[in-house]
Amino acid sequence: MATDITTDEVATWQVITGSARGAAHRATGLPNQDAAASQDGPGGAVVVAIADGHGHIRHFRSADGAALAVDVACRAASRAAAGLAADATGDEEAALAGQELARAVVADWRSAVADQLKARPYTAKELSLLDLTADTPAVPYGSTLLVAVISARWLVCAQIGDGDMLAVSPDGRSFSPVAADDRLDGHRTTSLCQPDALASFRTGAHDLGQVPLAALLLATDGYGNAQADEPWQPSVGRDLAKLAARHDRHWFEQEVPGWARRCASAEGSGDDATIALLLPGAARGAEEDG
Amino acid sequence: MTRPDPRMPGGGISRRPLHFIVLADCSGGMKGEKIQALNFAIADMLPHLAAWERDQEQAQVFIRAIAFATEPWWHVAEPQPVAQLGWKPLQPVPKGLTNMGPAFALAAQALAPGRIERRALRPALLLITDGLATDPPGGFEAGLSALMAQPAGQAALRLAIAIGRDAQSAALDRFIGDPGVPVLVADSSEDIADRLVAASLAVSRMSEAGADRGAVARRLFGPPGDVSSKIFDQDTIV
Repeated sequence: MATDITTDEVATWQVITGSARGAAHRATGLPNQDAAASQDGPGGAVVVAIADGHGHIRHFRSADGAALAVDVACRAASRAAAGLAADATGDEEAALAGQELARAVVADWRSAVADQLKARPYTAKELSLLDLTADTPAVPYGSTLLVAVISARWLVCAQIGDGDMLAVSPDGRSFSPVAADDRLDGHRTTSLCQPDALASFRTGAHDLGQVPLAALLLATDGYGNAQADEPWQPSVGRDLAKLAARHDRHWFEQEVPGWARRCASAEGSGDDATIALLLPGAARGAEEDG
Repeated sequence: MTRPDPRMPGGGISRRPLHFIVLADCSGGMKGEKIQALNFAIADMLPHLAAWERDQEQAQVFIRAIAFATEPWWHVAEPQPVAQLGWKPLQPVPKGLTNMGPAFALAAQALAPGRIERRALRPALLLITDGLATDPPGGFEAGLSALMAQPAGQAALRLAIAIGRDAQSAALDRFIGDPGVPVLVADSSEDIADRLVAASLAVSRMSEAGADRGAVARRLFGPPGDVSSKIFDQDTIV
């Protein structure tokens, strides 16, 4: 739950996710290398994470890397939520919580990868590929990560790599809750598997009492790369605000998986597409058609 | 583009653009049989690319063409969907030189941020020439530097076809920038069509999701010898 300090109302945030295997992945036998997870945090907080395992052959365990990423991210974000719920949390503490979230994710992900490698060492074939690339053992698990936690009146986000976060105001305006990264040129991405991953994390903290939201969208790049509008964020933000005002979460639960499927199809990006949509209970409108 | 769905936010969806820019030598040396063969070969290549576009799941191919001699000019200035492009024959420039640098610089302008879509796939550049670069001192380097200064130019798959063994040169290798990708040599005018088909295959296969570009290069062009292909480093992390 999150408290709206302007009304003292308590907003309950709902998470709706959808993920679809890319048409190009289907054609080439690659699995869906995206992952998504969410959980309720302490005190009514909600956390959500999505990840996109890199498609290149050098990242041959990236689907596992993405799954590990969303798991450790949800755990770390739940821990962050507890601190954010404190009454004394201010801008500085919230910003620090985002940085600490990133630090914990990087450490926990590396630890999780090491644990999996102990349980399931690289095969001889995988080792020969690793020799060829001269990569470190973590590189085959390479993945992006987008994680958000809403606790009390705070939205705290952390992101490494491509994909998009879009915070949508009730009037339809939208913004990214984390800073842009000029290195993401559409061809290369930052990654959890980099030695300096922590330095590539972008974090943000926003007071939802000051900046109320109608929706928060997290999406892997298979979603954004399917959008015909350029830039696509303004029109998606406008439409999301309208849809959030008209429909309840059951409608979104029916629709969001279809959005992911359309974006992942051969008419869209052809890439795996994963969406996590967070909606405040207060955004529910009177018209609740299905 | 698929029309916007009122139940889905945004302006609809479409495939990711794959921009393919042909840089064609129209110097004086191309007159006669060579330019005829080149025009025929390009016209023959387009249906191959269109067929691949139909068969795969990710890209929509857009073609542009730069013609160059002493100076470059746009022969096809606006990106044209490959299935809709009717090839208008190139004409050689009498006594025109083979100045490649300005052609690279013109391509660089087209690949500048904001000029192509952020979601576009890695572009492809195909240089076709029958002679050595005749750029004035520093001209070739300046043009190539301008191209490589653009992220999309740096990331582009760059291929070269040399018409006649004399045309193969270190300059073309520098344009390609990858020891794993050889210059495709067309010994005769008749070979040009085959080499263009090979180039279009390379563009298509290497653009596919999850492609092992090194393996594709080895399959299409043969083993690179004792040099390692930089292709393996592409499409991955910063």
